[in-house]
Amino acid sequence: MLALLVITSLAWMAFVKPEQDRQQALADTGVVSSTAVTQYQPQDIQDIRNTQDGQFVGGLKQFWDYTGFRNATTGHLIMMLVGLFFIFLAIRYEYEPLLLVPIGTGILIGNIPFFADGGMNLQVGIYQQGSVLNYLYFGVMKGVYPPLIFLGIGAMTDFSSLISNPRLLLLGAAAQVGIFATFIGALLLGFNKPEAGAIGIIGGADGPTAIFLSSRLANGINVLSDGTTVKNLIGPIAIAAYSYMALVPVIQPPIMRLLTSRKERLIRMKPPRAVTKTEKILFPIFGLLLTCFISPSALPLLGMLFFGNILKESGVTKRLAETARTSLIDIVTILIGLTVGASTQADVFLTKESVMIFGLGAAAFAVATFSGVLFAKLMNLFLPDDNKINPLIGNSGVSAVPDSARVSEMEGLKADKTNHLLMHAMGPNVAGVIGSAIAAGILLSYLG
Amino acid sequence: MHTLYLTEAATGLDSLTWTIVAVGIGIVFLSLLIVYWFFRYVLTFILNFRLKSFARKKGIDPAEVLTVKTIQSGEVNAAIAMALYQYFNELHDVESGVVTIKRVSRHYSPWSSKLYNMKNL
Repeated sequence: MLALLVITSLAWMAFVKPEQDRQQALADTGVVSSTAVTQYQPQDIQDIRNTQDGQFVGGLKQFWDYTGFRNATTGHLIMMLVGLFFIFLAIRYEYEPLLLVPIGTGILIGNIPFFADGGMNLQVGIYQQGSVLNYLYFGVMKGVYPPLIFLGIGAMTDFSSLISNPRLLLLGAAAQVGIFATFIGALLLGFNKPEAGAIGIIGGADGPTAIFLSSRLANGINVLSDGTTVKNLIGPIAIAAYSYMALVPVIQPPIMRLLTSRKERLIRMKPPRAVTKTEKILFPIFGLLLTCFISPSALPLLGMLFFGNILKESGVTKRLAETARTSLIDIVTILIGLTVGASTQADVFLTKESVMIFGLGAAAFAVATFSGVLFAKLMNLFLPDDNKINPLIGNSGVSAVPDSARVSEMEGLKADKTNHLLMHAMGPNVAGVIGSAIAAGILLSYLG
Repeated sequence: MHTLYLTEAATGLDSLTWTIVAVGIGIVFLSLLIVYWFFRYVLTFILNFRLKSFARKKGIDPAEVLTVKTIQSGEVNAAIAMALYQYFNELHDVESGVVTIKRVSRHYSPWSSKLYNMKNL
């Protein structure tokens, strides 16, 4: 107890008292600092401090009021448990650790309670103007980080399997049905159209695309023509997208097994042919031109994706490609993960809307898997017997790279230990990235 | 702040909703279908044309060139790549194992001179 008292006193003298003295000196001299923030003190502290001997006790009480213990709510504690659970999943089961560790830690950082009574701005929280976290969050709010992530993805993606078997592109398109089904579901649950569009993109199973679209549509700033301000749903949407991407190995296999017969699961696909360097160089160039001419709104994402791939495949910009796929994407992943996690402040995140978004997200992933597998079966009806598609790669149109392709491989091996589907599944997987970016562009062009 | 102009109601299912859904799915399929057609037919045609003209210049039968190109499967390439990878990664295992101590004569440099260290300034 004595130790606590000593530590508290020292902390008060070290941190609180100098700031009070500085403010007092400024007030005495009549100098108003341009960076000064409005100081707010609860009435009870002011009363204590106005008494003759109340300075010390008042200081202690003020220190206590500034601590996280004093300001903690049940919501903060719940969110911290969620953050710890994410970190646990990442370390114990290695579910998307590169994302869940920054996001989980971000949730802890974002939910440290601090004194904010009377609208006081300590410049600490992510939503408080002037705080470091707020500056970093700018990249999420303005959609700066997602295109940079796409640049890195482009620089590390090998489109060979897609070039050797371009019909797999259609599986990437089929899985995007999940986006539009979720869009309808969100509208039925009472969200307005921009919010529903942002929620729908969870079905694309692409974290950066989800953040990009929600930062444009459901950012808490945009105003509808009827005067309604859209809700800020960036945090719940990003967390739902990344959570379900990590849970792809849990969500997809039952649906895949339900929709396929044993005979279909045993289908062996032709090995992909060798792809020439010219084809690899031409793919990003023509892919960029063809897709962006049709859907220019997807330019920030697709432009960067194909640019990254040109850096990789050109063979003359190895240093740039290396930077894009290592250092750059790592830095942006750290920033995006941390800030998205920190944006889940309990008062913003723990709402009825978040629960509905998580429900819609699960449905979105299920519908996307469903449509991908069914479309593969549909394509088989028109393909010759010696060149069929194993429907187990249909789920890979859900662009959670490379998790959904890995699920195809695992399910294929369960049916036949010598039937490797990974290379074939990477085709629809990267096609899904392109497809979800195009879908995001269309939603943006209608609702943005 | 950015105002979103929606001519129809912002909530609920209406004609705009179904337009977005229909156009959205259609455009996603159309975009990827065009890329498919391009790489399946147009690019293959261009590359084959180049190969044929190359074969004609060299006086080789064009059909033969195309056959050679297609029989090389990805599996063969993967096997070659794996063999090269293993070979280059195991190079360090064939070190001589002989440890030598080689004396290196150092030239004089004022940077490491005791005469110019901080204590003697």
